[in-house]
Amino acid sequence: MTESSGSKLLNGEACQRTLRGKNAGKNGFVKNHCVFEHPRKYRRPTERSQNAAPNSSLYKKPFSESFEETPLLVAVLTYMGYGILTIFGYFRDFLRHWNIEKCHIAHEREQQKDFVPLYQDFENFYTRNLYMRIRDNWNRPICSVPGAKVDLVERVTHNYNWTFEHTGKVVKDVINMGSYNYLGFAENTGACASAAIETTHAYGVGVASTRCEIGNLDIHEELEQLVARFLGVESSMAFGMGFATNSMNIPPLTGKGCLILSDELNHASLVLGARLSGSTIRVFKHNNMQSLEKLLRDAIAHGQPRTHRPWKKILIVVEGIYSMEGSIVRLPEVIALKKRYKAYLYLDEAHSIGALGPNGRGVVDYFGLDPKDVDIMMGTFTKSFGAAGGYIGGRKELIDYLRCHSHSALYATSMSPPVAQQIISSMKIIMGEDGSTLGKDRLRQLSENTTYFRRKLREMGFIIYGNDDSPVVPLMLYMPAKIGAFGREMLKRNIGTVVVGFPATPIIESRARFCVSAAHTREMLDTALRAISEVGDLLQLKYSRRERPLSTPGWTYEESLLQD
Amino acid sequence: MNVGTAHSEVNPNTRVMNSRGMWLSYTLSIGLLHLILLSIPFVSVPVVWTLTNMIHNLCMYLLLHTVKGTPFQTPDQGKARLLTHWEQMDYGVQFTASRKFLTVTPIVLYLLTSFYTKYDRVHFVVNTVSLLTVLIPKLPQLHGVRIFGINKY
Repeated sequence: MTESSGSKLLNGEACQRTLRGKNAGKNGFVKNHCVFEHPRKYRRPTERSQNAAPNSSLYKKPFSESFEETPLLVAVLTYMGYGILTIFGYFRDFLRHWNIEKCHIAHEREQQKDFVPLYQDFENFYTRNLYMRIRDNWNRPICSVPGAKVDLVERVTHNYNWTFEHTGKVVKDVINMGSYNYLGFAENTGACASAAIETTHAYGVGVASTRCEIGNLDIHEELEQLVARFLGVESSMAFGMGFATNSMNIPPLTGKGCLILSDELNHASLVLGARLSGSTIRVFKHNNMQSLEKLLRDAIAHGQPRTHRPWKKILIVVEGIYSMEGSIVRLPEVIALKKRYKAYLYLDEAHSIGALGPNGRGVVDYFGLDPKDVDIMMGTFTKSFGAAGGYIGGRKELIDYLRCHSHSALYATSMSPPVAQQIISSMKIIMGEDGSTLGKDRLRQLSENTTYFRRKLREMGFIIYGNDDSPVVPLMLYMPAKIGAFGREMLKRNIGTVVVGFPATPIIESRARFCVSAAHTREMLDTALRAISEVGDLLQLKYSRRERPLSTPGWTYEESLLQD
Repeated sequence: MNVGTAHSEVNPNTRVMNSRGMWLSYTLSIGLLHLILLSIPFVSVPVVWTLTNMIHNLCMYLLLHTVKGTPFQTPDQGKARLLTHWEQMDYGVQFTASRKFLTVTPIVLYLLTSFYTKYDRVHFVVNTVSLLTVLIPKLPQLHGVRIFGINKY
């Protein structure tokens, strides 16, 4: 099956994607007839729906992702919004400069006015004039465990978000749609918490050393063997911090003379690790296998930039679920490409481990593939296991090499014992080894919640990005004012959400990101959906231009309750 | 709000002009400016067109060729701090689609203005000087060039 799909890719790939391609003549390509030409070139570009029709033989179940295009009117209004905000920003800066308005930002002392400026005025333009206005949507202090419901500290501001004061009251039982709590293990009661408390009594909290010196506890060894068994790999290694796992472990693996092919939307930790390693980095379009194959062929055919020597290593870096888009990587195709072109694959399963797949083993389990095909499987314990830290799994030689050469193992403190115990307990629950069906129930609950939530939001008419099976649900807001309005309106209705805008996302694609959890009950989701629908009507967020079933909200909810 | 949390784009300013609907918004805003100027009761049509051309070129010069750096902190330690927005577009790659569009628009506006001012001599001089201030900085040879040290830091 791999050979035939490989040749299919070969036939399809030997062509240029657009006629405007600048390197049409440069690569020495033979321009064959394209079997694989993007069908959307000939269709109206209303929707970038990626249904993997050409390569469906690799997928055991339908792969349906959709990223509906921004309606043009909305884009124009968004630019208008940013334009008005910019004009007002310049106006306010003018007032602050002439001391008509009080200036809260940092500035140098009088004696230092003639020096080279320490605070770059223009670089803070966005923070001063746009971010400060809606700053109350971020950094909200929480004062309970971030489970399905959370308590927030109430704060007020008397000078338009420049300073906050705590009123002393607590907003109780806010439905938590923002925490990465996919399997609901963020709890302070239950088997995991009791085991962690016992471990704290036995080991204490701090380790006071690195793994290589005297910080290698037996609980770490137990954890690593368990993780290796969970993933289906030969050996694994655990680190204290997920970000550090990526940024400290890519440098020992690749170096100068190696090539890293990384997805457009990779996380900052992967980008940092790739840059620290000193390899050449080439970026391929998000989840686009034609782009990746083109890069691979170019790299192998042409070699390193000036000398044309062959690359020492080619490493493809992808993530399991991309947390800002909610899309799942096309892993079968990536593995087929990697085998054909003899590259290595680094898979970052930060959000997908525990959340995807019938047994919760991540995106490899979701597609039904062999874990031995992925050379380096990385993941974090922060999201589905309710702990902190990251792991890397792979062949024994690789992990033994990393034990000696990883910066994180040599210089960073090892994982804290209660955290390690939390991971061990939760992983055993997911695997079903604690004797109960709690793991299976939670996995099933998560996938049901995901399907229900996504379906309902789509039916209401919102634009949702991503794969139908991913528990990360980005809801598009687009306009800058709606970012602040959405966050505040949802908090008024007792629902905590995470909103993101420019420059973290592309300029028109601001979004609110919901993370569905197994701890959410159907009633909580219904409450949340009702509130989202209300806010959506209030702020006119239902942009989707697809047909949706005509039904009144009341009838749909009743129908869903009856079907349970 | 940190730059690049949702995508590994180091400097989002490079991609702003390629976003969906940007060209349309730009054209519509020129149209809006023209309408506003036409609404002033006592100015004649040729003067309005010349004013449109001049204000458009002035704004374009200020926004694309004077303002330097980014309004947010980028993770590349300020590589673009001394670059104008035109120089930052597409990371300095010349002759991309947006660059061509932004070069052609002032020229089209100039042609329309010349027509509507009936090729009058004074209007011609004013409009041509205005067009040159906007076209010359866009030449690839002037990428990063600061004449007489103007706007260097």
